[in-house]
Amino acid sequence: MIAGLQAYLLVGAVLFVCGVICMATKRNGIGVLMGVELVLNGANVNFIAFSKYTALGLDAQIFALFVIVLAAAEAAVALAIALNFYNNHLTIDVDKANRLKG
Amino acid sequence: MNDSNLLGGQLLFAIFALATCLSAVAVVVSQTVVRMAFWLVISLGSTAALFFLADADFIGAAQLIIYVGGTLILLVFGVMLTASSPYLKIKSSPGETIIGGLLGLLFMFAVFSSLQGVEWPAPPTGDSAVTAGSPEGNTLRPLGLALLGARPDLDLHDGDTLSTGYLLPFEIVSVHLLVVLIGAAYLARAKRKSAAPAEGLES
Amino acid sequence: MTGETLRNLLMTAWLLPLLGFAIEIFGGFWGSRKSRVAAWLAVACIATGFLCSASALVVWGNATGWRVIAHDEHHGDEHHGDEHHGDEHHGDEHHAADSDAHAAVNMKSRNDQATTIGMEPGNWVTTSVSADGNVADADHSHDAPTVYSGTLYRLATFGGLELTLDYYIDSLTLVMFTMVTFIATCIHLFAIGYMSDELTDEYVDHFAHLSDGHHVHRPGRFYRFFAFLSLFCFSMLGLVLAGNIFQVFIFWELVGICSFLLIGFYTERKSASDAANKAFIMNRVGDFGFLIGLMVLWTFFGTFKFGETTDLSGHVVEAGLFQMLPRSEGGDILLDEVSGEVLIGSMTAPNPENSSRTIPYSLLIVAGLGVFAGCIGKSAQFPLQTWLPDAMEGPTPVSALVHSATMVAAGVYLTGRFYPMFTQEVLLTIAYVGCITLFVAATIAVVATDIKKVLAYSTISQLGYMMLGLGVFGWGAGLFHLVTHAFFKSLMFLCSGSVIHGCHHEQEMPKMGGLRHKMPITAWTMLVGVVAISGLAIPGLVGLSSFFAFSGFHSKDAVVATALAFVEANPAHFLLFIVPLITAGITAFYMFRLWFYTFAGSPRDQHVYDHCHESPAIMTLPLLALSIFAAYCAWGGEQGPLYGLITGDQPAYIAHGIAGSVTLPGHDAVHEVHGTAGILAMLAAFSGTLVAWVLYGAGWINPGEIQKQLSGVHGFLINKWHFDELYDSVFMRPMHIVGKFCAWFDRTIFDGILHGAAKVTVVVSRWDRLFDETVVDGFVNVIGRATHSAGLSLKTIQTGNLRQYVMFIVAGVVALFAVVLTTFPG
Repeated sequence: MIAGLQAYLLVGAVLFVCGVICMATKRNGIGVLMGVELVLNGANVNFIAFSKYTALGLDAQIFALFVIVLAAAEAAVALAIALNFYNNHLTIDVDKANRLKG
Repeated sequence: MNDSNLLGGQLLFAIFALATCLSAVAVVVSQTVVRMAFWLVISLGSTAALFFLADADFIGAAQLIIYVGGTLILLVFGVMLTASSPYLKIKSSPGETIIGGLLGLLFMFAVFSSLQGVEWPAPPTGDSAVTAGSPEGNTLRPLGLALLGARPDLDLHDGDTLSTGYLLPFEIVSVHLLVVLIGAAYLARAKRKSAAPAEGLES
Repeated sequence: MTGETLRNLLMTAWLLPLLGFAIEIFGGFWGSRKSRVAAWLAVACIATGFLCSASALVVWGNATGWRVIAHDEHHGDEHHGDEHHGDEHHGDEHHAADSDAHAAVNMKSRNDQATTIGMEPGNWVTTSVSADGNVADADHSHDAPTVYSGTLYRLATFGGLELTLDYYIDSLTLVMFTMVTFIATCIHLFAIGYMSDELTDEYVDHFAHLSDGHHVHRPGRFYRFFAFLSLFCFSMLGLVLAGNIFQVFIFWELVGICSFLLIGFYTERKSASDAANKAFIMNRVGDFGFLIGLMVLWTFFGTFKFGETTDLSGHVVEAGLFQMLPRSEGGDILLDEVSGEVLIGSMTAPNPENSSRTIPYSLLIVAGLGVFAGCIGKSAQFPLQTWLPDAMEGPTPVSALVHSATMVAAGVYLTGRFYPMFTQEVLLTIAYVGCITLFVAATIAVVATDIKKVLAYSTISQLGYMMLGLGVFGWGAGLFHLVTHAFFKSLMFLCSGSVIHGCHHEQEMPKMGGLRHKMPITAWTMLVGVVAISGLAIPGLVGLSSFFAFSGFHSKDAVVATALAFVEANPAHFLLFIVPLITAGITAFYMFRLWFYTFAGSPRDQHVYDHCHESPAIMTLPLLALSIFAAYCAWGGEQGPLYGLITGDQPAYIAHGIAGSVTLPGHDAVHEVHGTAGILAMLAAFSGTLVAWVLYGAGWINPGEIQKQLSGVHGFLINKWHFDELYDSVFMRPMHIVGKFCAWFDRTIFDGILHGAAKVTVVVSRWDRLFDETVVDGFVNVIGRATHSAGLSLKTIQTGNLRQYVMFIVAGVVALFAVVLTTFPG
């Protein structure tokens, strides 16, 4: 059975791993944000899969909905931070933001 | 899902799952932000299609509207506002890329192995409780009721009399969004006068 | 109503100086040191007070029909003229309560007089014990007192003890008020001239030296002087007006503090501040006895008031102290035959609570002696007399007002006021104390050369006369001498002040001489005072004798006559007559010595003589005014108005004398010996005068040679009978020894313990410090260093690189998975 729970979870896992790798490797701040979006989407895929294939039902969908909403909010704030960062550093390279190093 | 549609559903799932995964990988691999954004659109859109396939019509729609139509546009704005030159490339060092890739593979393997190791419960038999009393995948009405605190999809007769709706989280999220709106506006606003001397000092 | 009028007038006279004081001290006169406003304000206050007092005297006289004066013009003897004076009493209040009065008389001891209780609207309660000529008591030939008493203000209540401001107005109060205010007015005026050198922003005190040898420079204190004078007048008048013994004590202390302030007016001079301290401390010794007396009185009598207390309806609710001691027909204090104790009870107000109370006779003596101890201190009697000569460090007007005329007289006044409470033993003590004092002080005055010191010792001596007079049952005589002495002594002090002022603060008589040419007014007014105090008169001239018998003659005559009567009744106490008689001669001697030294003869110090000058009119006018009073205030002697006024309200039992273990002479006995005593006293005075003239006036005998021949006696007297040395060795030395022992004890024992404890603490602290620095600090430092190095090493991981952190997270998760999967396979 291809389109079962595990298939969905596999897709979610791939999205998640891609998002993490994206966060880890992209020096562009916007790229890091995109990685975050991917990670959240991976989680959402999992939620929807559980909604369909387990007794979680509607609750999982509501969780997914909240995740989407919060992701949107997070995107807005993160973008604002990115713009601020750009204003201050004239670049979007997150490697420049290392003033908190020990 | 009945049997006649099973094959079509499987096929569609395969197509969209592949699209999702491949474009996610493409996001990772792409070097320019614009391309990454493009692949991200593909990936998120395909995810939305997967949602439709999983009988979560409203979530899929919300995914399309909010993510693809809103968040990504926002990201593209960010790209445009922060790009000092067209097709700006900020390359990572090869070592990092390799380590990242290796780590990704290892992570993937770990997740996959744990995924395999879990004994998943059998899916609920009969009609999905989610879509009870409504066409398949039409979860708009139960979702709305749940957000208002009512749960028509649950059988509450067996002593579970507590409300299991989401009115309070809904309100919290609403307020949260408002706060975020204000906060984002505050953060992003132009601070020329105070920013100029700060830059001078840093350089 | 008479009582209310008298009260209001005297209260005005009493409170005005307080108002003056408040304005003078807080009125900002320190900003204008050259202003005389404060002085004139003080004069205005006290002069208004004098007018009020005089008006009060007139009001009182009208109310009593002038009986105390009127009858003496018809009758030679005071007590004969009394029977038909009932008809002269037409005060309204007397008729109103006649029936009550007679009822009271029938019920009570015959000593007690009819009472008439007058009520007034408001809270102030006035009691008037009226002087009704008693028809029913015809043999009771003495005038009863006319006393107005009541409460002005309630200060506080402590359980049963009620502290109030009362008033007690009788003829003695009125005479004292008028006398004090008049003399104070004269002295205030005099002081305006005398203190005028204080009207400057930069006063140079030639008698006070700084440590570098320069004179003290300070702003003038003109306003402050008059503020203190005003405060003193307020205190003195309050003392006289006081209606209970505790109130007397309050003003007693106020007077004391004024004396302290004024003696120490030139506070930069060490001698002045020492004298102020001495006066204050020696008075405290007496006041200690006073307080003991107050305790006894309160414990057994339960009240401090002199007069009776009435409720709003006019009934006597509480008897005063003076009504509580029952006296027999003979005037003696009644003793309970069984217990030997004195029954306490009101004779006018039967009080069931009080009727059963008694006081041991011995404690009654203690109370009397205690109160008299206060009087000893205040009136500078033996053995507390040494402060008064030192008090001459104050400005001369202060000496005149405070230390001769009024304040020191307060002791005599209180003795007279408190007379009904004194037993015979106490009276005998008073007499002997007065006797010793008058002799000791007079002998010292003989050798003193400082003009003010002579007067100071003369003051002590005359106060001794007053005490002697009171002690030998001459109530009227003692107080008579008090009033006359106040006039002529203030006059003489002002004269000496005038001399000192004119001679630029030269006080040594040997440097003066012949000053009558330069300052005639001062000289002749002074002569009036000298004659008055010496008691000179021209005998035999019936018509003219009044003009040549000055006030001192009459009053001293009265004292000496009483003493003679006393000695005739009690031959064992013959010294009480011999000593004052001899001292009368000594008094005349040293007073004329002073006058001859200062004003007669030729100048001894040409420098002083050349620079001296007569004082301005503001100083000589008071002299003239006072000299008239000094000469003639006792007009008529014991038949005159002043004596009549003073004795108008004397305690009823006095006139008859008391027969007992010590026989106290009545007026009859005194009158019998009056002529003899007068002649003897006058002979003594004349002989004293003659000796003075021989030695100092005519210069036939050089006093220096006598001084050499009697150098032992002279030294003894110059050193004031060694009283200061005696007190020094009896009180000061032991105190110093005790003090030194305490100091030694402190230094060796206490300091040793403390130092030992300190050393132990130091040693312990050193070890503690060592422990802290090695063990505790070491431990803490090791932890600190370990943390620091760990932080340093961990610091390298904190790259601040965002992506690296994500890598770490991923790697961590992977490692976690690996661990979990390898540890729990399947």
